[in-house]
Amino acid sequence: MRPPADDRDALASLLSRTASRDQRAFAELYRRAGGRLYSVCLRMLRDRSEAEEALQEVFTTVWRRAESFDPARAGAMTWLTALTRNRAIDRLRQRRETLAQDPIDLDRMPDERSGPAADAEANEDYVRLRNCLETLESQQRDSVREAFFSGVTYKELAARRQVPLPTLKSWIRRGLIRLRECLES
Amino acid sequence: MSTPLDDNSELRYAEYVLGVLDADERAAVESEIASSEAAAAAVEVWRRRLLPLAEEIVPREPPAHIWPRIRSALQLDAPARESPGGALRSRENLRFWRWVSLATSAVAAACVVALILVTRHPAAPPPTYMAATLTQKDGRVGWTATVDLARARLIVVPAAPQSLAAGRAPELWLIAKGGKPVAVGMISANRPVILPLEAPLRSQMSSTAVLAVSVEPPGGSPTGQPTGAVIATGAIAGA
Repeated sequence: MRPPADDRDALASLLSRTASRDQRAFAELYRRAGGRLYSVCLRMLRDRSEAEEALQEVFTTVWRRAESFDPARAGAMTWLTALTRNRAIDRLRQRRETLAQDPIDLDRMPDERSGPAADAEANEDYVRLRNCLETLESQQRDSVREAFFSGVTYKELAARRQVPLPTLKSWIRRGLIRLRECLES
Repeated sequence: MSTPLDDNSELRYAEYVLGVLDADERAAVESEIASSEAAAAAVEVWRRRLLPLAEEIVPREPPAHIWPRIRSALQLDAPARESPGGALRSRENLRFWRWVSLATSAVAAACVVALILVTRHPAAPPPTYMAATLTQKDGRVGWTATVDLARARLIVVPAAPQSLAAGRAPELWLIAKGGKPVAVGMISANRPVILPLEAPLRSQMSSTAVLAVSVEPPGGSPTGQPTGAVIATGAIAGA
């Protein structure tokens, strides 16, 4: 359900209006982006009340920092997603000890979209990224995806996958380099 | 391959965006972003590359109580909602009155906040706290602030703040030694508020810094600097 292009422009405009203290724009921004950002929090934190707290922090920060959004530099959804992931990762780092013993297979979590139905709605940045991910070796691809969706450290990923830390780092780094090449080509 | 594997500075930004760095490594990249335009631009490029993956996560409607809480935390509807009881949900109402009874002694309130935080999160690492007592011109304590470094937040509890004009709200500022005021967030004259502390603010919380409260429009100063009168100040002390 990636918004089409004019919807993305609308998000950028809502963010800019939020920066000038337009409360109605802020409410509309929450209505349009809140569900996606809440899902990002839930997926990473895997705890409803923590996800709720994180979402609340994200939007209070959006209100206070909206003026630092620069549409020439980043898309509105990218800016919001980065902010949200940062809050969620900060929280994860504060409880990293407990997560290390929590080997949930995130790839099997049921809330991912996939298949042709999703393609029709997907935006082109996502489609390019997914196509490039497909060119990675499976271990590289799986570990990059798990890293992204879980937000956990190299060390925890290595423990979950039961591989030595240098091996895991090498998979992800090679994966990232390959992705950069593919996306820039 | 156009770039060797040991191209570490570039890759570190990718690792930061992907989210695999530990807390110290993240803090190092964040301070680079703050001080270097090139680092900020490189991180932005990696965000554009990687964050579209979030498209795969199906949006879920947040619970209905979140939005009122956000508005309330920012005091966007300060005049209408500030009357105790009015629009508050029963659970929040209960909490409100519990806080009112605690806030009769500012110091006791700060201790209880610390106690609640410790008992609620038994698995958390040992907390590090700092505190400030925000005193008004008449010498009375307006608010107490407890800095919870471990959980990266600040708890601000009203004691006996002076009353504000209608349509005005108190905003909290952090002033590092020799620095300009930095907005921490909106606080309240009649209920405790928890504010998130992001890394840049967190690093400035020290015993040489001062917290101050100014009177602003609801939602906060439009300029990023205090525009109204400063009504309370207090130095930060380690706990």
